[in-house]
Amino acid sequence: MTNEQKSILVGLGTCGISVGAEKVFSSLEKEVSNLNLTENIHVKRTGCQGFCQQEPIVVIEPEGFFYTKVNPDDAVEIAHSILLGGKPLERLFYREPITGKPIPHYRDIPFYSKQERILLKNCGKIDPEDIDDYLTVGGYQALRKALLEMTPEEIILEVKGSGLRGLGGAGFPTGLKWEACRRTTCEEKYVICNADEGDPGAFQDRSVMEGNPHSVLEGMIIAGYATGARNGLIYVRAEYPLAVKRLKIAIEQARQNRFLGGHILGSEVDFDIEIFQGAGAFVCGESTALVRSIEGKRGRPKPMPRARTTEIGLWNRPTLLNNVKSFANIPLIISNGSEWFAQKGTEKSKGTAIFSLTGKVVNCGLIEVPMGINLRKIIYDIGGGIPGGKALKAVQTGGPSGGCIPADMIDTPVDFDSLTKIGSIMGSGGMVVMDEDTCMVDVARYFLDFTRRESCGQCVPCRLGTKQMFEILDDITKGEGRPEDMDLLIELGEAIRRSSICGLGRTAPNPVLTTLRYFRDEYEAHIYEKRCPSGVCRVRKGSD
Amino acid sequence: MEEELLEEILASYRGDRGELVPILQEVQDNLGYLPEKSMVDIAKFIGVPESHVYSVASFYAQFRLLPLGRKRIAVCRGTACHIRGAPQILNRIEKTIGLKEGETSDDLEYTLETVACFGCCALAPCIRVNMDVVGEMTSEKVDELFPPVIEGVKNDQ
Amino acid sequence: MEKISIKINDQDIMAHKGATILETALANKIYIPHLCYHPDLKPAGSCRVCLVELDDGKLVTSCRTPVKEEMVIKTKSAELDKVRRPIIEMIIANHHMDCKNCAKKGRCELQRIMGYMKIDKKRIQQNLRFPKEELPLDDSNPFFIRDHNKCVLCGICVRTCQEIQKVSAIDFAGRGYSTKIATLGDKPIAQSRCESCGECVVRCPVGALVPKNLRRPSHEVKTICPYCGVGCSIVLGIRDNVVVNVRGDADSSVNSGRLCVKGRFGLSFVNSQDRLTSPLIRISSNKNSSLVTRHPSLFREVSWDEALDLVASKLKNYRGDEFALIASTKCTNEESYIAQKFARVVMGTNNIDSSVRLCDAPSITALLKTNGINALTNSISEIENAASILIVGANITQSHPVIGLRVKKAVENGAILIVVSPIEIDLCGFAKVWLRPYPGTDLALFMGMCKAILDGELHDNAFIQEKCENFEDFKNSLDDFPSGKVERITGVSRDKVASAAKIFATNKPSAILWSSGLTQYSHGTDNVLGLINLSMLTGNITKPSYGINPLMDHNNSQGVCDMGCLPDFYPGYQAVDQPEMRKRFKSIWGKDLNPNPGLTLTGILQDTLEGKIKAFYIMGSDPVSNIAGSHKVKEALKKAEFIIFQDIFLNDTAQFADVILPAASFAEKDGTFTNTETRVQIINKAMEPIGNSRPDWEIICNLAERMGSRGFDFNNPEDIMSEIASVTPIYRNISYNSLRKGSLKWSDLAETSLTGQNGKYKFTPLQYRPPAEVPDVDYPLILIAERDIYSDGILSQKVDGLKALRAKRLVYINPKDATDFEIKNGEVVRVISRWGEIEGQAVVTTASPPGLVTMYLLEKEINQLINPSPDPAAKTLETKICAVRIVPQKES
Ligand SMILES: Nc1nc2c(c(=O)[nH]1)N[C@H]1C(S)=C(S)[C@@H](COP(=O)(O)OP(=O)(O)OC[C@H]3O[C@@H](n4cnc5c(=O)[nH]c(N)nc54)[C@H](O)[C@@H]3O)O[C@H]1N2
Ligand SMILES: Nc1nc2c(c(=O)[nH]1)N[C@H]1C(S)=C(S)[C@@H](COP(=O)(O)OP(=O)(O)OC[C@H]3O[C@@H](n4cnc5c(=O)[nH]c(N)nc54)[C@H](O)[C@@H]3O)O[C@H]1N2
Ligand SMILES: Cc1cc2nc3c(=O)[nH]c(=O)nc-3n(C[C@H](O)[C@H](O)[C@H](O)COP(=O)(O)O)c2cc1C
Ligand code: SF4
Ligand code: SF4
Ligand code: SF4
Ligand code: SF4
Ligand code: SF4
Ligand code: FES
Ligand code: FES
Ligand SMILES: [Mo]
Repeated sequence: MTNEQKSILVGLGTCGISVGAEKVFSSLEKEVSNLNLTENIHVKRTGCQGFCQQEPIVVIEPEGFFYTKVNPDDAVEIAHSILLGGKPLERLFYREPITGKPIPHYRDIPFYSKQERILLKNCGKIDPEDIDDYLTVGGYQALRKALLEMTPEEIILEVKGSGLRGLGGAGFPTGLKWEACRRTTCEEKYVICNADEGDPGAFQDRSVMEGNPHSVLEGMIIAGYATGARNGLIYVRAEYPLAVKRLKIAIEQARQNRFLGGHILGSEVDFDIEIFQGAGAFVCGESTALVRSIEGKRGRPKPMPRARTTEIGLWNRPTLLNNVKSFANIPLIISNGSEWFAQKGTEKSKGTAIFSLTGKVVNCGLIEVPMGINLRKIIYDIGGGIPGGKALKAVQTGGPSGGCIPADMIDTPVDFDSLTKIGSIMGSGGMVVMDEDTCMVDVARYFLDFTRRESCGQCVPCRLGTKQMFEILDDITKGEGRPEDMDLLIELGEAIRRSSICGLGRTAPNPVLTTLRYFRDEYEAHIYEKRCPSGVCRVRKGSD
Repeated sequence: MEEELLEEILASYRGDRGELVPILQEVQDNLGYLPEKSMVDIAKFIGVPESHVYSVASFYAQFRLLPLGRKRIAVCRGTACHIRGAPQILNRIEKTIGLKEGETSDDLEYTLETVACFGCCALAPCIRVNMDVVGEMTSEKVDELFPPVIEGVKNDQ
Repeated sequence: MEKISIKINDQDIMAHKGATILETALANKIYIPHLCYHPDLKPAGSCRVCLVELDDGKLVTSCRTPVKEEMVIKTKSAELDKVRRPIIEMIIANHHMDCKNCAKKGRCELQRIMGYMKIDKKRIQQNLRFPKEELPLDDSNPFFIRDHNKCVLCGICVRTCQEIQKVSAIDFAGRGYSTKIATLGDKPIAQSRCESCGECVVRCPVGALVPKNLRRPSHEVKTICPYCGVGCSIVLGIRDNVVVNVRGDADSSVNSGRLCVKGRFGLSFVNSQDRLTSPLIRISSNKNSSLVTRHPSLFREVSWDEALDLVASKLKNYRGDEFALIASTKCTNEESYIAQKFARVVMGTNNIDSSVRLCDAPSITALLKTNGINALTNSISEIENAASILIVGANITQSHPVIGLRVKKAVENGAILIVVSPIEIDLCGFAKVWLRPYPGTDLALFMGMCKAILDGELHDNAFIQEKCENFEDFKNSLDDFPSGKVERITGVSRDKVASAAKIFATNKPSAILWSSGLTQYSHGTDNVLGLINLSMLTGNITKPSYGINPLMDHNNSQGVCDMGCLPDFYPGYQAVDQPEMRKRFKSIWGKDLNPNPGLTLTGILQDTLEGKIKAFYIMGSDPVSNIAGSHKVKEALKKAEFIIFQDIFLNDTAQFADVILPAASFAEKDGTFTNTETRVQIINKAMEPIGNSRPDWEIICNLAERMGSRGFDFNNPEDIMSEIASVTPIYRNISYNSLRKGSLKWSDLAETSLTGQNGKYKFTPLQYRPPAEVPDVDYPLILIAERDIYSDGILSQKVDGLKALRAKRLVYINPKDATDFEIKNGEVVRVISRWGEIEGQAVVTTASPPGLVTMYLLEKEINQLINPSPDPAAKTLETKICAVRIVPQKES
């Protein structure tokens, strides 16, 4: 028997658990203990490995063997293989989809090798329920540096210098926001982490919270120090119980280690974090709606003109609101310096972008790529292309607020401004790949069904507009569309876009407007020929 | 019993306005839904009008104003799931258990609902039975997987 | 206010700085379509139809965007149209468009927008999708209909109910396309907390909230609500001699346009089928028969001449103290003045009183004693500016609802509210401190508070030294109220007493409001004196928003007293027993006057029972139903030889009448009412008297003349008011000419100082006496009767809608008592007192503390339960409480 320490990492994110990873984990633990190997082999829980589709995933360290779709029954063999001198189990290796060639190490798998994992580096490596694991990879060093070596002004300068733009969708420069909040004179301020992640088809915030919760806390504490706030709050959506659980554990451990609470690290800085669980409303991702919802009200965005949340936010106090990933980037920026960060990405979009790559793509999962990479690389190099040899039709980014980018535009670079130019948005990182079997009218209908339900219902254009557009699209998918409907959708869409109160309404027409722009022929087929080219819609022939 | 439970829950709060959503969540966790009486009491406890509590409760998708079935099946209607056939899954389940979206069976055995997204999109299409998410559903898998899932829940209780 | 210059549609405009674009445009007669804006409410900015275009091409909502110097605004443009038109078209597509049959047609904002935008309905019909199903109407409220199909979700009703009425019966429910306006549980509005004030109905911009049975008036007349002492100003809409509509008068300082349900929807009694239309004379001697009074075998219709001749000839036999007159808190000042003049001059007696005796008399007695005048010291509108408000024994939101709105507004403005009430009332929800004394123990509580204030040196020494007398005596009497004793008597912990005292003493100005919960005790006058002591101790008196404010009960309760319908006072609180006063009135009225103070209502009944009083004039009052110990009242009336009953309806007292005289209602005559804040307000004749009814003043004047008296030849109430002003110092400056310009508050005008004879407020040393009514083993519980906003005497019973809404016969009982007496929620119980019993349905609730049960004061049977003791000073009866036991009905 060797004395070498080994780890068996089991991906225990929500995705892994949903396909049985917990059973894998417990049978591995059992087996290791049966074999009296607990001294040498550490069966370790980690967050999402990113390659969600291959879950349950088990990684053997230090070798880096990468087992996919592991069964609880495989536990005996895995434990034994390690016992028997580390001979890997080839049958569990990831296989190159086309050649079928097994790839033993995850660093060699194209899905990983083509990414640039900075933020997600430790997701899937460390035990999210153990602060020591985070500390061994340099966790809370940035906090130490910020608190003990830097003034708030210096921190803000660093964040501004990094060029970091908020990763919650709108891409507002983070440093400017911090500065605005810092400048307010109010004694009481709040730092809120927006973990509402309401875009259906996006799960990167969840994965970060489940896989590396301390990185979010660390970013928030630094933000608290920089802005002068003492109260932190994480607004997590209701559907993320595991994220809540891990955040709670992390907060508790951070308190015990004096990273949270009074006199953090012996300094004069006080900061603590609470968790607020959302109750299921997409619109609550919008900053003013989110604030109202914490205040025990309906999540209704405030109409303009209104004060900025950085000035009048939660309980009418100055409030800094950032996305999970925005916060998680902060320790990296502080530790490595703004230049390091600013090198990555493009002129106007710095750093990396994280996407939930899903839909009709071979490799589904969580990916991190430098800003400015083009869609082709993402879909084909990382995503492995379209399954079943089908043709790519479109890529949807930005969820219900975004648009559908047609296949012939996949050389467009992925950054805030380029995507906006072609009618979509970065959004909070959902990326859904659609193949030839996807009906674009159905997709538009789908999104409007979503927004008409999720509209807060406050303003007329959004409430009635999403309903009206949905009904028109529904008619079209049923073969009851009229030729005038296409112009009508554009007319309504423009009016809704220009008159709605908040981003939800203002962007709700995007999926319709982009599909009309790029896939008008599909609409026409439904309307004139009573036919769904992709065979998705049940078009009622002959009726009108 | 409901009343005592409610009293007990309220006793652990201060009665601030900002506690409304957490209280509603805890009450629902314990009672399964939000009986009207509980909303009246909560309104009083935090000093807001009853209609406000109803207004808030009916705004958020999480809250149930009617009792739920013992087995709550939620089908994801997120984008990834939609593209990968969630509508067909929903259809199949509707047929299997004889309920439409949003309905609860008379015997309070099942509730069928849809949810915006579980965040398990890579394993689309997904459903959730009570607290457990089940990924990579197929229409065939519904028939094959469904009874055992339901059985499993039964055994757990 | 600062002005800035802006441009709207090329027109130069000077705008108020801080105003919004929409306000500025509307003020300058430039229309901008709008749906969710209402001038009384905070802007929601949600309908988005008020968009305007700025010169940089930006579209902004004009209702929320403030004007800025040099702003250039377009309210019409091609760009705007592109955005605004689809919004309007979608609203219309989602709207049950049926203008022809809609109650709102012609006054509908949506219709107006359609006209303004020249909307092409056909285009909408062809293009847009329409709702597939129709939502059911909510017609549960008797006065208005909610039609979700016409609702544009502007939220005006929600904001009205929140911001103005502060009831929040309704709110938005659901979200997205299924958002709607709903009550808790989306139940019919009649099952919600809605108080049917109709404030939302009058503000709804479309036909989603409309009054039922709407008829458009042919003319409108301004007048005053005839129900409670608030005296809201109203505009009556009349068509074909029928009251078809009521609006609140927005210019009134009393109500600023607001009304409660009775004022807005409760005036149809005027045209009730039951109105008395002809004089009636008794033909059967069978009094107190179970037969309906109107039955032809009992009474016959006669002409006015025949009726009045009969009365004149009969009354001649009862001159002097064999006669008594019960004046009405409902009639005008002029009629009240005539009534007491009739009694004093024609009949030669001071036996005049009114139902003010049943509740407000202790306040009057106490105020006359300490301040020298019966007037509250604040105005209603001042309440909003108080720093603290102390409310004792008054359920204002039910009994004086529009003042209740002021109190809620004050709380919103930051006032600290202290409520003293054993029962949980609506305002407890707005209160910072709620003190819950045992019934009838308030005096001890006030004295305890006074002591705490003195001990903490929080009193206003300068004020006391300068403006008050008798302080030392009072201070000494406080020794009798150590904190432990106060705690024992009242059941309120000493800490709570002390902290309430501190809050009260340190948050000035403080307005103090009270009503019958304080006065209807056998020590009611002492109760009020105690409260006045408390106010003087902190200097909370006679400055704006500082003050002591009894809430007078009816529309003219203040006036009927001002006019001298009191046994001991001529008009203006000039004492009957003062020879120089008597001399003055003799010289004006031209007749020797009876030097002896008359009897109070309670005394009158007693003397009648004893056969000393033989003839009765009952004018707009219902002693049989309303005076506790009804069995005794009935006996007395049966004993009387001749009873004249003058009313607009037959009430329970009518069955004892010998002659019934039909009076004209407030809507059918001119005159003035004086509200609880001493504001004299004109009521204007809006329609012709129903049937053969006549105004009360006319009837009595005519009668006096038939009896050969002079001084009753008035042409109209205006003439009467001139005489009133000439004999009544506090009304010296009142004339119709001045009133037509606006109402006047006599306590502001009167030259008489509000302080006592020597210009000082008088402290009163007091001792605590427990209530007369005490529980014992057989009757272990105390019953309190509460008022209900929907019912007020017979008038409300003549309005079907009010009858439908009024409180049910419920018995509210604490869970502890319910367990002890084995009573289950919802079961029928019997409430048994030493004198009678009554049935009701049990409601188990903590709103009633242990030991107390409450019922609504709408069942006259309640008056059979009580055999009350009078207050020695004011002779007001202890009707607030009664010892009872409660048994489940099945045990009978
Ligand atoms: N809708 C309506 N309005 C009315 C009337 C009506 O019949 N209907 N009547 C009018 C008349 S005649 C009058 S007198 C006024 C009366 O007006 P209010 O006096 O405001 O009416 P009540 O309902 O009698 O309220 C008395 C309150 O005092 C409380 N109370 C009882 N005992 C005590 C006690 O010992 N101490 C204290 N602190 N509180 C006590 C009761 O619980 C109750 O809440 O209302 C007038 N307005
Ligand atoms: N059960 C019960 N008993 C009570 C009360 C209660 O609410 N319920 N409240 C108690 C209190 S505090 C009081 S003050 C008394 C009130 O007792 P009352 O003063 O007797 O009050 P109402 O019963 O309203 O009687 C008023 C009468 O005036 C008549 N009226 C109205 N307008 C006119 C008019 O213009 N001219 C003439 N001639 N008549 C008119 C009405 O038809 C009605 O018959 O009741 C006391 N007793
Ligand atoms: C309808 C709507 C939904 C949104 N949902 C989210 C969300 O789920 N998560 C998020 O971080 N930001 C969301 N946003 C953006 C937030 O309003 C806000 O811009 C962001 O949280 C700020 O953080 P950042 O600067 O770090 O991006 C949403 C905005 C709108 C209008
Ligand atoms: S745009 Fe939609 S979500 Fe936003 S405020 Fe208006 S109705 Fe609500
Ligand atoms: S609410 Fe207005 S627009 Fe609608 S039917 Fe009535 S009058 Fe016509
Ligand atoms: S009922 Fe009337 S006031 Fe209320 S939201 Fe609907 S349209 Fe507006
Ligand atoms: S009638 Fe009055 S109380 Fe009722 S909902 Fe309307 S505003 Fe609120
Ligand atoms: S508050 Fe009194 S005066 Fe005003 S409307 Fe109501 S009943 Fe009439
Ligand atoms: S789209 Fe179904 S789990 Fe996210
Ligand atoms: S009136 Fe301005 S948004 Fe409705
Ligand atoms: Mo009264």
